[in-house]
Amino acid sequence: MTEMGAWSGRVLYAILALALLTAPLLPLNTVPRPFATPDILLAVTCAWAARRPDTLPVLLVATVFLLADLLFQRPPGLFTAIAVLLTEWLRRRSSLLRRGSFVGEWVAVGAGIAVAALANRLALGLLLTPQAPLGLTLIQVLVTVAAYPAVAGVAHLALGLRRPAEGEVDARGHRL
Amino acid sequence: MARDRGNGEDYGRPLRRLLVGLLVLALLALFLVWRIDSPRVERLRAEVADAVVPRMDWVLSPVAGLVTLAGDFRSYQRIHEQNQELRRELQQMRAWREAALQLEQENVRLRDLNNVRLDPALTYVTGVVMADSGSPFRQSVLLNVGRRDGITDGWPAMDGIGLVGRIAGVGERTARVILLTDASSRIPVTIQPSGQRAILAGDNSYYPVVDFLESRESVRPGDRVVTSGDGGLLPPDLLVGRIAEGTDGRLRLRLAADYERLEFLRVLRSPLTEAIPEAGALIVPEGGVAPPAPEAVTAEAASAGALGEAAPATPPEASGD
Repeated sequence: MTEMGAWSGRVLYAILALALLTAPLLPLNTVPRPFATPDILLAVTCAWAARRPDTLPVLLVATVFLLADLLFQRPPGLFTAIAVLLTEWLRRRSSLLRRGSFVGEWVAVGAGIAVAALANRLALGLLLTPQAPLGLTLIQVLVTVAAYPAVAGVAHLALGLRRPAEGEVDARGHRL
Repeated sequence: MARDRGNGEDYGRPLRRLLVGLLVLALLALFLVWRIDSPRVERLRAEVADAVVPRMDWVLSPVAGLVTLAGDFRSYQRIHEQNQELRRELQQMRAWREAALQLEQENVRLRDLNNVRLDPALTYVTGVVMADSGSPFRQSVLLNVGRRDGITDGWPAMDGIGLVGRIAGVGERTARVILLTDASSRIPVTIQPSGQRAILAGDNSYYPVVDFLESRESVRPGDRVVTSGDGGLLPPDLLVGRIAEGTDGRLRLRLAADYERLEFLRVLRSPLTEAIPEAGALIVPEGGVAPPAPEAVTAEAASAGALGEAAPATPPEASGD
């Protein structure tokens, strides 16, 4: 399968998101670590939004991130709203991004992730919610952005999530 | 932008934007409701975890098992070294066992003389750790025991040796334990032998901070720290750990519980539990509130002969004084 259909793309994203929700819940490490791991779920969602927004329904993004908020002990709703806005922004830019090089995509996604983390902290700060130390958040943003090429590469090679070429059409002849 | 999509999408675009806007507003409203009425939304969170995580168990436990197996396999490489180490430790433990047996006999005799009856309320329910907190910013675990086992918010959880955390969030089949290392964990403790009261504050590091000490001079690294029972929050005299001095000069705690391997946790049925029924009802009357008595579970515990004491959780040296 070289070209991903709309439905197979949706199903693939849903399965991947479920796996990425399950993996951090594995009770393997209960010792606090001084570093933060990359937010792979956010990186994968950004890759999907930047490359194949037609296979990424908004409701699916909202459901996945709301579940993540509830399961991972985050303030429910806030980061979901930010993630939905981030994917919408990338969705709107995706036709622009596909004409540029990968570096352009990386910069756009990286800026998006950084702004998302900042907006999250700002909203939490405004409402005086206790939040994680700033250093840990910064580390997480950096490693997530650094992991993005790897995530996009794996998605490209293993899952066929590639950027559609100019004027490419889907199975029913609609333009992508 | 006519370039993007040929047909149909152009009519849908403003409508779609409106719907996405509504979705975002709804999500932000949920966040605000959580901020205003936290207990209710937290209960929703517990229910969601209760519905979702047990369903993930078929993948969680085998994968966790495999990874642990791989870790164990790696440890075979230094099996000889470990063997020697274990022999040495066993030698020491034999001496301890002898001491413990003698002390136990002495204890039994003394109890008999005094006609002491142990508090039957201090029994425990044992649960298996199902899931991690899933976030590097929070330290908690999910146990496979919940409301149907009579678990109530605020009960302490221990591993075989020391205090691990408190229950915060109970679902029907699961309960969340906020670990002592979590940044929002605060428990009152007593430092032995000086008898100083202090607050143990988690800060997302392996060694929680010992805060609000009266006189620092009378506390030394290596002193035992137990719960103080202040405010009816936790039962008194549960072992927590030993004092250590951090590189920054602050007093920290080396936890007695083995946080590397949290597998089975005991949830103590604490008779004094503060309950927060709804927002605004935060202040508990003097002496605490008794938890609702779960008949089924007490009956089961009684039949299993689990009416033990809180003492087995503490090492032999504790029963000496």
